[in-house]
Amino acid sequence: MKQQVTITAEPINESALLSQRVMSQGTGAVVCFLGVVRGTEGNAHISALDYEVFQRMAEHQIDLLLDEMAKRWPIESVRLVHRFGLVKVNEPSLWVEVIAPHRSEAFAASQWLINGMKRAVPIWKKPVIGDR
Amino acid sequence: MTRVTVSFYSYFKDLTGCARTTEELSDGSTLDDLFRALVVQFPKLGAMRKATLMAVGVDYQDHTYVLREGDEVSLFPPVQGG
Repeated sequence: MKQQVTITAEPINESALLSQRVMSQGTGAVVCFLGVVRGTEGNAHISALDYEVFQRMAEHQIDLLLDEMAKRWPIESVRLVHRFGLVKVNEPSLWVEVIAPHRSEAFAASQWLINGMKRAVPIWKKPVIGDR
Repeated sequence: MTRVTVSFYSYFKDLTGCARTTEELSDGSTLDDLFRALVVQFPKLGAMRKATLMAVGVDYQDHTYVLREGDEVSLFPPVQGG
């Protein structure tokens, strides 16, 4: 399984990521997920989320998840980008692309990976109220 | 004695007032022993006992892990990636 993981303070450039997509003759499904910052956190209106990451551990934990994912499903490739620092409302903080022969494994693997990230990858977010 | 470094993340930095500290414990001490020593130094951590995740290096460990000289320990609240 090909894999590419990027944890960055830079905005996620979707068009660049799409232009770099590589598919094989066996590709039958591409699932692309964007996690976007909502304008509310609980009952409060927010302007952004400030993400903190323990980068070395986050990269390692994502690698462990991807190793496990490759054992569970016949995935061709996965690309993942997670931002840290200030991410404004409606901007994506997470971009995940899973390419597989069939949609069932592409959807299942994507869902499993994102759930795993929320459980194991050391990233935290702090709501920002007002402009910053 | 076993000397380890401890890093705090997220709001644990606010609870302790620092991002990093060092601790010296007797040989054979566990992460549980370390946590108890840290609570003496940073009492606000005490309330977070059940919500604390602990890692040594880049791997999660449970409270029974026996510390080794030079271990880099990290303490933090539940993660929120994605």
